[in-house]
Amino acid sequence: MPVPRYRTRIELLQGTLDLLILQTLQWGPRHGYGISQAIRTVSADVLQVDTGSLYPALHRLERQKWIRAEWTVSGRNQRTRVYELTAAGRKQLLAERSRWEQVSAAIGSILAHPGAVE
Amino acid sequence: MRLPVWRRNQDRELDEEIASHIRLAIADRVERGETAEEASHAARLEFGNVVIVKEVTREMWGWIALEHLAKDVRYACRALRKAPGFAAVAVATFALGIGANTAMFSVINAVMLRPLPFPEPKRLVSVTEVDQRRGDAGSSSVAWPNFFEWRSRSKAFEQMSAYHERAFTMVVGGRPVHTPGAIVSADLFATLGVQPVLGRGFRSEEERAGSDVVVISDGLWRSEFGAAASAVGSVTTINSRPFTIVGVMPGGFRFPFGVPAAQMWVTCAEDARTDEPGDTPMTAERGAHFISVVGRLRRGTTLPAAQVDLDAVAAALAREYPDDNGNRGVKLTPQLESLVGDTRRPLVVLLAAVGCVLLIACVNLANLLLVRGAVRGKEIALRVALGASRRRIVTQLLTECVVLSAFGTAAGLLLASWSIRFVVQVSPANLRGLDEVTIDRFVLAFTAAVGFASALAFGTLPAWLESRAEPRAGLDESGRATAGRRHGRMRATLVVSEMALGVVLLIGAGLLLRSFHRLAHSDPGFDGSHVVTAKFTLPDNRYPYRKQIAFYDELLADLNALPGVQASAASPLPLSGLRYSISFQLPGAKVPASEQPSAAFGMVGPGYFRALQIPIVAGRDFTAADDDAATRVVVVNESFAHRYLAGRDPIGQRIKPGLSTTEKETPWREVVGVVRDVRHLALNEPARPTYFVPYAQGLISSLFIVIRSATPTTVVVDQVRRAVLRKDPELALYDARTMDEYLTLSVAPARFQTMLLTLFAALALVLTAVGLYGVVAYGVAQRTREFGIRLALGARPREVLHLVLRNAMRLAGAGIAAGIVAAAFATRLLGSALYEIRPLDPLTFAAVAATLVAVALAASFVPAHRATRVDPIQALRTD
Repeated sequence: MPVPRYRTRIELLQGTLDLLILQTLQWGPRHGYGISQAIRTVSADVLQVDTGSLYPALHRLERQKWIRAEWTVSGRNQRTRVYELTAAGRKQLLAERSRWEQVSAAIGSILAHPGAVE
Repeated sequence: MRLPVWRRNQDRELDEEIASHIRLAIADRVERGETAEEASHAARLEFGNVVIVKEVTREMWGWIALEHLAKDVRYACRALRKAPGFAAVAVATFALGIGANTAMFSVINAVMLRPLPFPEPKRLVSVTEVDQRRGDAGSSSVAWPNFFEWRSRSKAFEQMSAYHERAFTMVVGGRPVHTPGAIVSADLFATLGVQPVLGRGFRSEEERAGSDVVVISDGLWRSEFGAAASAVGSVTTINSRPFTIVGVMPGGFRFPFGVPAAQMWVTCAEDARTDEPGDTPMTAERGAHFISVVGRLRRGTTLPAAQVDLDAVAAALAREYPDDNGNRGVKLTPQLESLVGDTRRPLVVLLAAVGCVLLIACVNLANLLLVRGAVRGKEIALRVALGASRRRIVTQLLTECVVLSAFGTAAGLLLASWSIRFVVQVSPANLRGLDEVTIDRFVLAFTAAVGFASALAFGTLPAWLESRAEPRAGLDESGRATAGRRHGRMRATLVVSEMALGVVLLIGAGLLLRSFHRLAHSDPGFDGSHVVTAKFTLPDNRYPYRKQIAFYDELLADLNALPGVQASAASPLPLSGLRYSISFQLPGAKVPASEQPSAAFGMVGPGYFRALQIPIVAGRDFTAADDDAATRVVVVNESFAHRYLAGRDPIGQRIKPGLSTTEKETPWREVVGVVRDVRHLALNEPARPTYFVPYAQGLISSLFIVIRSATPTTVVVDQVRRAVLRKDPELALYDARTMDEYLTLSVAPARFQTMLLTLFAALALVLTAVGLYGVVAYGVAQRTREFGIRLALGARPREVLHLVLRNAMRLAGAGIAAGIVAAAFATRLLGSALYEIRPLDPLTFAAVAATLVAVALAASFVPAHRATRVDPIQALRTD
């Protein structure tokens, strides 16, 4: 049984989860479980998305028409709800990415500043 | 949580989605080598609380706003239940405002807005003639020949038809029945788009003289023919001639819209008949303008296009018949608009007034809410401190207003449904649509919209102010004074504007009241008390011209033989709504027919002026000697003498009216008398030049019998009926009325407007008084501690009383001043509705100002008095 990694889990900033979901879906349609697994694997288990955040976010993004959901039948003859990016979602992803880059650059330069500001 | 039906599906899908998530997680773990049991346990643990995940996900579905709203509504209801006094006053205030508006709007809806009850009513237009010398004011009825020309030459109309109202005497089961009806062109029913339910409509060849066919109303068919299908095809006696019933109109069909409603329709064959061979029938008289025309535009043709089309026809007719059509144009008006006519303005003024009442109610409510907000400051400050967003608080406070308004609107609708009956009762009977005033869907929508808009109007400002409450200020030890004082100025402004509105309404009502009083007591120029009038129609096939005159002569002789009776006959009667106008020639240069002057005209019997006590100012009255064999004579009124016979002794002058009955050519007539002016059309319209001829020398329509007698009306009417039936049992007496009734009827529109505006103004006054009371009372309550200190320090109660009253009167004074300025502009709207009263009548303005000062004093005295009774100890101890 794997050791719980709750200590290393990071509270995601508001809006960041949206960015992660959109980015994940850019690689192709996925169901909810798939998305959470992808985020977890790609971030090397650092980012774990809580289902209580994931599903509200998915349903909200769907309402905003950035993603689209469809029921598909998997190989084992089981129904799953698969999400995919819409055209508006692609645009949103670009916007959020550039915003994220600005913010992280800004934070980075503050952290890199040598002198203390008094 | 119970889900609405339309969410259950979505909820099931969410369940399935979560189940598939867990299933996939288990499958993954099993693949990694865990046992099924372990995997299932771990996956569930990892997923977390399914119920909570579901709940937070559902919040994203967009109905969360609704859920919040429901919560707000519940919260608002609870808050209102906790303040029943406030809720009751607010709901009652709102109900009064909304009720009055709904009642008024439902009248306007029925009279002005509801489409006419015919298919595609927008294509129906009314066509009138216009005297181009007088512009729009010269619009008049149409002559049959002009209608025939329009109908055949214009291309803009699918159909065009003409009609005029006429009452008939129908003999049913041996009994003469007076039946209101209309003479129409054959295509009237087709034009309106309504066909008989039984039998058929008229055929075009039935417009020719001699085709005596009739279509009857559903009502007549049921009451007089027992609703028998065999009625169609049967022959009935109308005006002593046999008519074949060819059709029965559907129930509810009504046209023309006159009162009483037409019960039978005959074709213009009726007007095409002549008594003597060689006479000109009415259908060929180019100078007789008395019919109305309604047309149905071709689909896709606009009103202006049709106007251009008919203008061309009128211009052609003016060239072809310069004498009669020289200055005649045409004017098209949408049929509904032409029916609304002059009633539009009073109704709109009343709607504006009732809107002001609602505005006052809203201001009152805003004030109430401000007061309440000051009291609830603490609660709101607490909620802000606990992190409620401003938007959330505003939304919630507005929800409270909307809930209040919903209750108020419901109560208002109830009030309206009761008061509509009253409004209808006092409105003038000839207002079309009045019998169909109901709260229909359109009115409901209007009321709902007004109610909602008002809630926002009175709620926004207080809600906004309250949401700005500083958390800390509100939570200060007592949590009392701070918020209130800041809103004090706002409340003062509101109460001032409310008073100003009240002043405007009161001044408007005051002006109308004074005007109505003057109108009702104005001198019509005759004395109608103890005068009874009645009418009957002599069928002209049995009563040729001379026999009609003889009939009237003999009947009047019979009646005059009764004790205490002064009987005569005349047509038209003053204030009866009828008016004849006939052009005439003056001696001297001959002018073309189209340029001849025209004046009002009347046929009267000997003794008519005496019966109505119209003084003869010069010359003599007509006598029995002025008969068909005698010299042709005429009596003129003062206006006529002044306008056309000025500078000469009118007696002995001669005029030549275009009125010929038995002569080959119209005769010159000698003026033998001058009578005083009479207000003929309406009490508020100055007399017009009028000339009278003895009916024995020019009878052109049925006469009213006019009787002055001290005997009670019903007895007199009975006496007349018996006298008439003794001479001819087939005649039906109708329109039996006293002259006083005509007087009353003629002021009915003015009374309607005056009564309602006065009622609305009274409502405004009460609301304003309540508003002022509320503000002063709240001010006193807030300053209890201050008054306590003042009294403790030795101020006399009188001084405290004056202090409070002075403040209140400062508000009232500002409101009254603002109201007077506003009224100076607003009363111009009343304009023509005022009779012998200027819109700036100083007496009315002064009286209203004085009334409001008195009311303001009374409203503020109670709280002011309370201020003097403050117990200093008690006051200082509070909180």
